[in-house]
Amino acid sequence: MTDFAIELSGVEKKYRFFSLDHIDLKVPQGQIMGLIGPNGAGKSTTIRILMGLVHQDSGDVRVLGHQMPAEQVAAKWDVGFASEDMRLYDSMTVGWHMSFIQSIFPGWDTAYAQLLLKRFGLRAEQKIKGLSHGQRVKATLLLVLARKPKLLVLDEPTTGLDPVARHEILRELTNVMADEGRSILFSSHNTQDVEQISDQITFIDRGRIIDSMDKELYLDRWRRLRLEVPLGIKLPVLPGIIDVIQDGRLAVATANAFDPDLAMAYESSGAHVHSVENMTLEEIFVANVEHSREEVGA
Amino acid sequence: MNGGPFIISQSDKRPMYLQIMEQIKQRIVVGDWTEGQPIPSIRQLAVDFQVSVITVKRAYLELERERVIVTQQGKGSRVASSAGLGARLRELELEQHLEQATRIAVQLGLQPTQLEERLREAGDRVSEKETI
Amino acid sequence: MTGSVVGHLIMKDWQIHRVPILVTMAAGAVALGIFQRGGETAFVVGSVWFFVALIVIASILPIFAIVNERKKQNLPLVMSLPVSTMQYTTAKLVSTVGMFLAPWLTLMIAALVLIEVRGILPHGTIPITLILLMLPLVGFCFIAGTALVGESEGWGTAATVVCNSSYGLVWYFMTKIPALMDTWKSPVAIWSPTAMAIFGGELAFLPLMLGLTFYLQSRKRDFI
Repeated sequence: MTDFAIELSGVEKKYRFFSLDHIDLKVPQGQIMGLIGPNGAGKSTTIRILMGLVHQDSGDVRVLGHQMPAEQVAAKWDVGFASEDMRLYDSMTVGWHMSFIQSIFPGWDTAYAQLLLKRFGLRAEQKIKGLSHGQRVKATLLLVLARKPKLLVLDEPTTGLDPVARHEILRELTNVMADEGRSILFSSHNTQDVEQISDQITFIDRGRIIDSMDKELYLDRWRRLRLEVPLGIKLPVLPGIIDVIQDGRLAVATANAFDPDLAMAYESSGAHVHSVENMTLEEIFVANVEHSREEVGA
Repeated sequence: MNGGPFIISQSDKRPMYLQIMEQIKQRIVVGDWTEGQPIPSIRQLAVDFQVSVITVKRAYLELERERVIVTQQGKGSRVASSAGLGARLRELELEQHLEQATRIAVQLGLQPTQLEERLREAGDRVSEKETI
Repeated sequence: MTGSVVGHLIMKDWQIHRVPILVTMAAGAVALGIFQRGGETAFVVGSVWFFVALIVIASILPIFAIVNERKKQNLPLVMSLPVSTMQYTTAKLVSTVGMFLAPWLTLMIAALVLIEVRGILPHGTIPITLILLMLPLVGFCFIAGTALVGESEGWGTAATVVCNSSYGLVWYFMTKIPALMDTWKSPVAIWSPTAMAIFGGELAFLPLMLGLTFYLQSRKRDFI
């Protein structure tokens, strides 16, 4: 019995122009982890490694307690995988795909599958080639959801979907969490979705993990401080502040390790803290990536 | 157990857990959830709100700290049984609004007496609307 | 449990490619029909038609069944199922070779029956007929294995070109072997050592090619 649905330790993978560098990632059972990062950061490679589709050069990969890629067959019985570059068979129908998956997996829930067909606005007789992009994505997710697997690994599940379709998918993903034995790892560009449903957030950029932690704690660490700086006052350099932009008498400081003492420190230096704002995950995303690239000297 | 409507507003800039806390308090204030009544489990509410479990967990923790709800190991959570909880929450709401009004008044450069005058004018406007 | 997943993958391929399968069966039936008319002309025309059909099938089937799965991005779907890369390779080879064997075996048996039973040609033609019939099967396995390991349409096409251009050369060399040509008029099938060696070589090529395919597939570290 394992406590973690996914465990990556020290995973490395070298390609000619890109490498994954010392990836450590843990997804506790019953939780949802959102994986975010710019294009080319290594999200898809990481996901392929944990599905056993790509062999890591070094490091330990465990999925539902199984070593990957050696025990990938055992693991895949309980993992539902859907990636953005995955396509269904054009010439076959939605219903054929459903029968195909059902014939392999004993956990297939027929009633739920029918419900999803209705909810997603799909019909079993439709051929895949006649579906729109959004419908294809929903069909692929239907196949993965109706099996009710213990672990869902989704690479960009809502990319390219209209807001209604995105909402439908999110609803099904949150329904999964009603069962504390089930876990989800998903990567997404949509920071809104990640912010909303993730328990854990992992940030990856240029093959390295920048941050990986509890979402609420993470959001609490980031603040934007709007400051009024009278003439002649120089703003002190404070720990936990990663960026300050000043224009005349107004300044904006970005904190990635916020503490109320920071506001007090500014006040005692002679500046006035006009407001302390929360940041959305998207704003954090941009600030974080820019900051980490500066640090590495990229 | 009332299951909905639980909706997080995307345009609301406050953190999700605060919105959840507010909506729970609102239910208590209007009387949909009564004192001592069991409330949905953290996981169930997470599904209803379509938010992460960890956010609801945080909301419940804060509500417990504020003695609005009570959680018992293995028995789930319920609305606190203290008498007049609804009224107390209303009072808190009023205080928050007054503090905010004061903050804005300061930014406008109003004196306390001017603020009092404004409050009286607002009271008149409200009673006018109610008689119509 | 997992054995049946391989079975499901094979069935899946046959369901998806049911149209090409039916078309090849039809082509085979046409060839059979031509053979039926009897006589030397019918046999020659039928054989040529049959041979061309088999070569075309040998070239197109692997493209459909193997290359397209990668090209049309269906592979992640298959690999998300509880199968290893070796099980996938097994399923792919069995289903693709199976698709080829169906028309090929039918026609081979039909040709042999026509010679043996109907006697449209002397039995001396049996060795050379068998040797010629084996060629498309050998070529098919070569193209299929290359397409599977090579992962791209380019490799499949290259193998197809190499194969198809070789048939002519091989036929030419075979006509130059007296041990094969001299005995075709005989009323009895004569298996000279040369004929046996050639036929044996063709047969041996099959497990060799398949073994090489499996080995190269197992060495892949980035399957997708």
